[in-house]
Amino acid sequence: MNSNTQAKAPKNRTQWWFLLHSWLAMPIWLFLFFVCLTGTIATVSQEIVWLFDASVRANPPADAGRMLTFDEVIEVVEQDAPGAYVTQIKRPVKSQFALTAQISYPDSTSENVFINPYTGEIQGRAANGFDFRQFVRGVHGWLLIPFNTGFTRYSLGWYLVSLLGIPMLLSLITGLIVYKKFWRGFLHPRLRVNRGARVFWGDFHRLSGIWSIPFIFIISVTAIWFMIQGILFEVGVPFNGASQAPVFVARDEVPVSDQGRPPMLSPDQAIAEVNQRYDNVEAQDVRLPMNAFGHYRIYGRSQAFPLVRESFLVNPYSGSIDEAMRVSDQPALMFTRLSMRALHTGDFVGLSLKLVYFFFGVLLTMMVFSGMRIWMTRTFRATHAAIRPHSARSGETL
Amino acid sequence: MTTRSSTRSTKRTPTRWFRWRFHLTGILILIPVVLTPFYIELMSVFGGANGLGERTIGAQQVGPWRITLAEQFEKAPSLDGPAGYMKTFNAALCQACAKEVKAVYIRLGKPRSLRTAGVIGFGSPYHMSFSMPVPENTSPTADIWLTAEGWDGAIHQAQWSLAEASPATIEFLMQQQEP
Repeated sequence: MNSNTQAKAPKNRTQWWFLLHSWLAMPIWLFLFFVCLTGTIATVSQEIVWLFDASVRANPPADAGRMLTFDEVIEVVEQDAPGAYVTQIKRPVKSQFALTAQISYPDSTSENVFINPYTGEIQGRAANGFDFRQFVRGVHGWLLIPFNTGFTRYSLGWYLVSLLGIPMLLSLITGLIVYKKFWRGFLHPRLRVNRGARVFWGDFHRLSGIWSIPFIFIISVTAIWFMIQGILFEVGVPFNGASQAPVFVARDEVPVSDQGRPPMLSPDQAIAEVNQRYDNVEAQDVRLPMNAFGHYRIYGRSQAFPLVRESFLVNPYSGSIDEAMRVSDQPALMFTRLSMRALHTGDFVGLSLKLVYFFFGVLLTMMVFSGMRIWMTRTFRATHAAIRPHSARSGETL
Repeated sequence: MTTRSSTRSTKRTPTRWFRWRFHLTGILILIPVVLTPFYIELMSVFGGANGLGERTIGAQQVGPWRITLAEQFEKAPSLDGPAGYMKTFNAALCQACAKEVKAVYIRLGKPRSLRTAGVIGFGSPYHMSFSMPVPENTSPTADIWLTAEGWDGAIHQAQWSLAEASPATIEFLMQQQEP
């Protein structure tokens, strides 16, 4: 046994890199595994809901014509519950999902209502509280630890999770140092399934590692950004640019009316105002004014740079566009923040990219597991040999 | 794996500990497990699934309008960075008056004019949300003043004693002001 251990003593730099690579993730592997697993589920959480709940599907009829406009959604809601107040409408473009309207009822409860985008039928309702997508995001992103507890403004869990980006990025770098001539693995992929668990997991770890280089890089760098974003927020750096106070309609622009609420632009009219002045805006998400001094807030994904969501504030009385945030208008920090988030979640092209993210998410989760398996069988002894090359007590705690 | 080849069986225990401690971060997984019920409760209050808030304070006639006030959470004000301590209240207009009221404001103490009426409510008329600053030196006998402004320009006011509106805030102020 002693001679065996001696033989494994690291003789060169690469072997030390190997030890570093192994030790980066091993002490935290189970937590990392959990975060990767929940992140993978989060990528397709909307699709999971789609699979299990028919009411959130678009369910196009055989003679599917054009989709309901935003105004028509409000009509549908008014017929269903007179007096109810619509606060937000999401209208997925070319998608398999139903329209979603967020509704506030006179009894102060609120709900999300799923509406068939073609027929206008109300297909389902969900209390506006627990939402599987948000839940999975919360578990993955901050372990459900509350925000703004007085200690930190972001959740402590946010930091616990985003901190993992550092060992992940270092694992990628050291892994590529250790795996000599890794590019050969692309040409000669090797996954031996009949040589026992250790060989299999080793092959798997290397093969999925090299194919996941861009993915691991994106995920770890964006995770590190999330940590930086949290710290910037803690110290009070404004993401919207230092000079940008919230925009409200000036008091003298809000009409006085003896007959109650004065006529306002409808959502479709507000969108028309945006489309008149700006090209290539496809409204996907409309928030109705939050009070008498509020604007319509209209969101659409940029066609030119889909990582960033563009937003427009439309004055509901005059139709003037009081703020336009196109891609090029975003302050650098906000641009980074939006892009990093989109890159991390993969939610900016549609189902196809989400499935790609899901696939690599599964690979990454399995890499954490396979890394642990390899560690258990290999690194343990190698470390031992490295640190105590002359010790015969190979079973001793380090 | 090492113990298997080791001839010293007495070293088994430390080895097992050595290997198990690398699974210990799995304990962190318990955090979301334990927090799930709290999260569900929190989301239903935020989302308005429960109604106006965790504790309804009561309804008052404010001029021609009936307005209900509630505490978002039965909790002390929370520190919101440089903004200081904030306490969230929610208010609802009656269905008949939702279209007549332009804006609702609340603040601690009587406002001198509409300009100083306090924080404005955001959201649906049935679930307006107010994030009201609570200075640490606020008197525990202070009142919450609610100002409602009609679309026709009419102003009506109502008040609740802070003790009635939020006992948790009174408790918080007592603690803050202890000599």
